[in-house]
Amino acid sequence: MTANPAAIGDTHLAVDPNGAPTAEAGLPAVELRLENARAGYRTIEVLHGIDMAIPSGAVTALLGANGAGKSTTLRTIAGLIPLRGGSLTWRGEQITKMTTTNRAKRGLMLVPDERAVFATLSVRDNLQIIAEASGHPDITPALEAFPRLQERLSQRAGSMSGGERRMLALARALLARPSVLMVDELSLGLSPKVASELFAWLGTVADAGTTVILADQYTEEALALADMVYVLHRGEITFAGTPAELGASELLAASAS
Amino acid sequence: MTSINLALTAISLGAIAALSGIGVLVTYRTNGVLNFAQGGIATLVAYVFREMVVEWGLPIWLAAVLALAVLSPGIGLLLERLVFRPLARRRASAAESLVASLGVLVLTLGMTAGIWGLGSRGDAPSIFPADTVKIGDTRVGVDALAELAMVAVFCIVLGILGAKTKFGRQVRAVVDDRQLAELSGVPADKVAAAGWALGTTMAGLTGILLAPQFRLTPYGLTLLVLETFAVVVAARLASLPVAVLTALGIAVAQSELKQVTLDGDAGTVLTVLQSNLFIVMLLVLLLVVPRLRELGNGDSGSTGSFSSRGAPPSGPVSRDEARRDVLGKLGGAALLMAPMTFAPADLRSAFMVPALALIFLSLVILTGYSGQLSLGVAGYAGLGSLFTLKLANGDLFGLPAVPGIWAMFIGAIMVAPIGLITGWPAIRRRGLVLALTTFAVGAVVSRFVFEQPDFASGLYVDPLELFGAELGDKAFYLFELFCLGLGLLVVRSLHHGRIGRALLAVRDHSEGAAAVGVDVRSLKLLAFTISSAVAGLGGALLTFSASSFSTDDFAPMQSLLWFTAVVVFGADSAAGAIIAAGFIVAIDVLAPAGSSILAVGILALSLGWLPGGLASAVRGGIAWVARVLADEFVPSAHTTHAAANRLARAGGAVPGMAGAAGATRHGAAGSSGTSGSGGSGGGIRIVLPAGAPRPTPLGETLLVAVANHTARSGLTLEMLPSARAGEADSAERQGLAGPRPHLPGVPVERGA
Repeated sequence: MTANPAAIGDTHLAVDPNGAPTAEAGLPAVELRLENARAGYRTIEVLHGIDMAIPSGAVTALLGANGAGKSTTLRTIAGLIPLRGGSLTWRGEQITKMTTTNRAKRGLMLVPDERAVFATLSVRDNLQIIAEASGHPDITPALEAFPRLQERLSQRAGSMSGGERRMLALARALLARPSVLMVDELSLGLSPKVASELFAWLGTVADAGTTVILADQYTEEALALADMVYVLHRGEITFAGTPAELGASELLAASAS
Repeated sequence: MTSINLALTAISLGAIAALSGIGVLVTYRTNGVLNFAQGGIATLVAYVFREMVVEWGLPIWLAAVLALAVLSPGIGLLLERLVFRPLARRRASAAESLVASLGVLVLTLGMTAGIWGLGSRGDAPSIFPADTVKIGDTRVGVDALAELAMVAVFCIVLGILGAKTKFGRQVRAVVDDRQLAELSGVPADKVAAAGWALGTTMAGLTGILLAPQFRLTPYGLTLLVLETFAVVVAARLASLPVAVLTALGIAVAQSELKQVTLDGDAGTVLTVLQSNLFIVMLLVLLLVVPRLRELGNGDSGSTGSFSSRGAPPSGPVSRDEARRDVLGKLGGAALLMAPMTFAPADLRSAFMVPALALIFLSLVILTGYSGQLSLGVAGYAGLGSLFTLKLANGDLFGLPAVPGIWAMFIGAIMVAPIGLITGWPAIRRRGLVLALTTFAVGAVVSRFVFEQPDFASGLYVDPLELFGAELGDKAFYLFELFCLGLGLLVVRSLHHGRIGRALLAVRDHSEGAAAVGVDVRSLKLLAFTISSAVAGLGGALLTFSASSFSTDDFAPMQSLLWFTAVVVFGADSAAGAIIAAGFIVAIDVLAPAGSSILAVGILALSLGWLPGGLASAVRGGIAWVARVLADEFVPSAHTTHAAANRLARAGGAVPGMAGAAGATRHGAAGSSGTSGSGGSGGGIRIVLPAGAPRPTPLGETLLVAVANHTARSGLTLEMLPSARAGEADSAERQGLAGPRPHLPGVPVERGA
């Protein structure tokens, strides 16, 4: 797998630089745009200058093997990792310098792959915190979407099963009322049944107009939901396009772990 | 005085202890940092307050406002921003935060001592009038009542805040997981800063209230505040009411003890208890309280992040590696021998270096190799010194007088069983609890042994004799170096082979080590035992260096300073321990007394940016420079990673791999986290542009050094002029040791 400059160019084919919908792709406006983004940890650079345009109100899937840079991309967008080069714009506005807290307050929500809930806090406090931060301190919508949480309200979040914690994490995301919802490894450690349920729920969120970005290795489910696909390999984008355009070879590479 | 009278006089002290405890708890519950600097900050604020009132003549109310509403919270905000936020950002363990807070403690102490000196002052102003109020038939000071009222107010306000408010929830969220809190839109930095500001304000308040009750000295007041940790332990790091009740309880009990008089040894113990109940209770509570309600995921015992290296290579080492190793050791030995050429006065100043180095080595064994925090090393060192002197004076348990040199070794060995016993609590304790326990042990030993005239007076230090001849200055220094050599041998035997690997396993993951059959309990005890004997020897040497036994040399605060110094210079580095000793002695000789404290404090604060201490930063710095330099020579590539990939793809067989027999990429240690494609594609070829000038001898040496360090970081590197690529292939096999070709290929000599 090589870093193919032509593939990076494809990104721009799908959405024009001004963020207006393009005729051939039929995609809506650009919500988030990464340009030549470089990021990493300490001495290790993980993203070697990627270009990405996330369409508004659609589901974008980031695919790739372990270590491809999917999580790093999401964490960079959320502001947990600073950009070392390039730029990040949200609806045309530079947000490279904005703090994580402010991005979250303005509707950029990341559900991380690990430590996605406050383990030492009760389920109620987990929900309450994010509800208060979003300015709508009512937690009932979360309990309606995930009734199973109702009976566990006073339980410590850390003592729940992996699937329940994942549910709580998504319930929190729901209360945040984000305009962009990023979910890292939704299916990690979940049974296929629970994973399908959660993917289905994400579908309804996207249908309601939220921009959704999924980073997943569970390629099939993610592809079924996605309107736009990016395949990452070793910190470089090797494919950008619609799921239909994604060839068998890229699919194979993307799902290889 | 009646019991009631005694109890009432104790209220003031109890209330202040409660306020101090509340401050520590607030910092801990809002930031997960057990703030050892509480005492140092209290002392600093108390001194500034006194300065404003006594020297500048400000009215007391204005000075109090400035000290408590500006200075104290300012210190907290500054600490949060500069020291603890970087630590929290990289999810440092509680052990690292603890070390950073020790750094702050050392720094504030250094500042206080540097500005106002170590002498005591009896004119600290009180913010309350000296009036009394009559309650029943006794009179109670206004200050005591006001302090009690403050405790009540703080308890109620904090209780309400913590329980059900939005702020309370945010605090708990930030402490649980700062990143996730930020992702949830909680202003984590502000919440943490608020916690710090409140905590340091309480510290300042404690200092201002305590100062007029005692004579104001930097060390004394600091230690007094640290003793109130007993209250925090009783509260199991969580409960405010328990903390307050314990504080009042201990204060009253201590006061009531004054009614009792006993004769003989019991009487002596009682006299000490009457003024040291807090520190005794700290130890007792630590041994009795089953479990503290520590925050986080219980990784507070992990010292891995300031002990960065793994086991030394166990396989055969290449000739160059061995040669560099030997050269380094010879260089170090030569430096240690240098004082032999000094003038007599300077040589005597250098006496301290090997002695301190031995004490530091004992910490390397305990913290660096076996991963246990120890804040009581001065206790072992002091006991070693005391046993030695008593043996030499023929004053120990009726034993006959022993010549000084033998007394020293016997004394050191006698400390070992004490290390074994005090190491016992360490089997089940880690991190914060172990740190506090060792601190309490050191402090109790200091109060009950070193400060007692029965034990520690009338000691005289005779010059050492060997085969009937008195040791001169130079001979004594050589003898010290001999002892240091012994210590290094012990350290080496503990770091190499089976036992070294087992210790590292215990350090990095004791449960995992236990699971694969490592006897964790015995190893921990072994580390404690040997470490205490080494510290004992160091302590004895320290006393002979100074020619007198001084309790100040082995005060509990010394343990904190020494531990911080060791961590700063690399807790897992024997060389770091020796360098630390040299650094401290050199600074104290060259600069005004107390400067070394300041310097160590400043270095400790940089731990937020330099995980692994100076030693590791230097190691990392060399590797970084090597990488940057290597990048300079790689044509048309912005990262070595990209270059490596490109070459691997384009070239297929990369000559570097052929030339470097046995060289492999060490895991993901290179510049790329994604080591892949079969692990075979890591070779870099440095191609000098055609027609480029030949490197000068210096340039050549530099390139060789760069290549070696890059090789260590996991990349193979090769330098050859583009026109002669083929020829160099055969040349590079010969390595540095072989005859150098005109432009040598740079070998990669490190085995897997």
